Amino acid sequence: MEERRHTSSHYEMELQEIKNGLIYLGALTEKAIQAAMQSLTERNTELAQHVINNDDEIDKLDTDMEERCVKLLALRQPAAIDLRFITTAVKITGHLERIGDMAVNIAEKAILLNKEPKLKPYIDLPRMSGLVEAMIRNALDSMIKGDLQAAEKVRETEQVVDDLNEQIFRELLTFMMEDSKSIHRALLIMHVSKNLERIADHAKGIADMVTYMVTGKSVRHKSDDVKK
Amino acid sequence: MDSNIIIKLNNVNFYYGNNRALTDISMTFRKNKVTALIGPSGCGKSTLLRLLNRMNDLIDGTRVEGEILFEEKNIYDPEIDPVEIRKKVGMVFQKPNPFPKTIYNNIAYGPKLASNNTGDINTLVEQSLKQAVLWDEVKDILNQSAMKLSGGQQQRLCIARALAMKPDILLMDEPTSALDPISTAKIEELIEELKKNYTIIIVTHNMQQAARISDETAFFYLGNLVEYNKTEKIFTNPDVKHTEDYITGRFG
Repeated sequence: MEERRHTSSHYEMELQEIKNGLIYLGALTEKAIQAAMQSLTERNTELAQHVINNDDEIDKLDTDMEERCVKLLALRQPAAIDLRFITTAVKITGHLERIGDMAVNIAEKAILLNKEPKLKPYIDLPRMSGLVEAMIRNALDSMIKGDLQAAEKVRETEQVVDDLNEQIFRELLTFMMEDSKSIHRALLIMHVSKNLERIADHAKGIADMVTYMVTGKSVRHKSDDVKK
Repeated sequence: MDSNIIIKLNNVNFYYGNNRALTDISMTFRKNKVTALIGPSGCGKSTLLRLLNRMNDLIDGTRVEGEILFEEKNIYDPEIDPVEIRKKVGMVFQKPNPFPKTIYNNIAYGPKLASNNTGDINTLVEQSLKQAVLWDEVKDILNQSAMKLSGGQQQRLCIARALAMKPDILLMDEPTSALDPISTAKIEELIEELKKNYTIIIVTHNMQQAARISDETAFFYLGNLVEYNKTEKIFTNPDVKHTEDYITGRFG
């Protein structure tokens, strides 16, 4: 993000540890989504249970990251880019923690779906999942590099995910209209789709924070445009 | 000059012998605001502060170019009396430097010496000490030596002494660097109060202090004015990378 290092190497290290922590947390949530989706497509209930159990680690890491950030605020009185980085990190860790919860939601739905016959082959959901995983990765990457263009790309992808979600809804609606016995399964799949769509929202939230971190301007809300 | 502006510098250069300590500084100071001058040692911030009441005149071999306008007049014009300027532009230094006299006389000395002051000196002493939030602590010991006061009290006495001359501007050169945190907090609180009636320009190495008390901040480096903006902007999102590197502790 910036080539110049702090005079205090200890401070430099503490900031770096927060960056590393966010990357690690991001990798954990990405893995959780992957595993949750795999438990669905491969009908692997054991794997779904594993995702649910592992969420504790994500929660603990979130708390730990938040504590580190608060400690730096109190002890180092950061300013300018450092201040914006730390406040951004607090928000990002919150987004990642919520993403972890959504992976758990997907795993829970997978367990229920795995108990019933498959309604249809899963094609769009894995595609959606691939997109949101990339969004998380790219959003965190844009944070490390302070790359505004990469953050913008994440925001653009969110629209693609939204469209996919709507398409899945429409498709499942036809299943439900044709056969009322499919309603329960179709609703569960809708939940999965909705959770992926919300993960994309959180990834966009991370990208928005990166834009704030780099420029100092908020882009999170529609009203922010008016202020500029 | 805009009525909100009290001092205006136009292309000011300053030399110690052949060494240029300030390069082409143009800036304005706003009335009833606290302006902080920050930057690493040797950046020219204290030199600039001392230019504003012609304190640098006292150093041999120094030279000023450009103009510094105060009340529409260039304070470096030959017909201007530096003593008159120093009455209107008071100064408080890094280390408290009370006169080895009583508390009362520390305040009364200047106004008595300035022959044009015919008002009631007792009232002036009380007023000045009250403005410097020292009155309650010293009202019963006005005839005691000022040297017996604590460092923080001495510094507030020096502020009261400067206020007794009824200046428009108060220059402060690291006024709290020799004080403990409580005394520092008291001086900072006092600065907030004083800006209602005075314009304050403060040099500080303590960036949190600049962030806490100033309305505007100017960052100097190697004799150049690098960035000058609202304090909030400087400490959250400065325009210049160099400013950011300094305030985030990447050099200096």
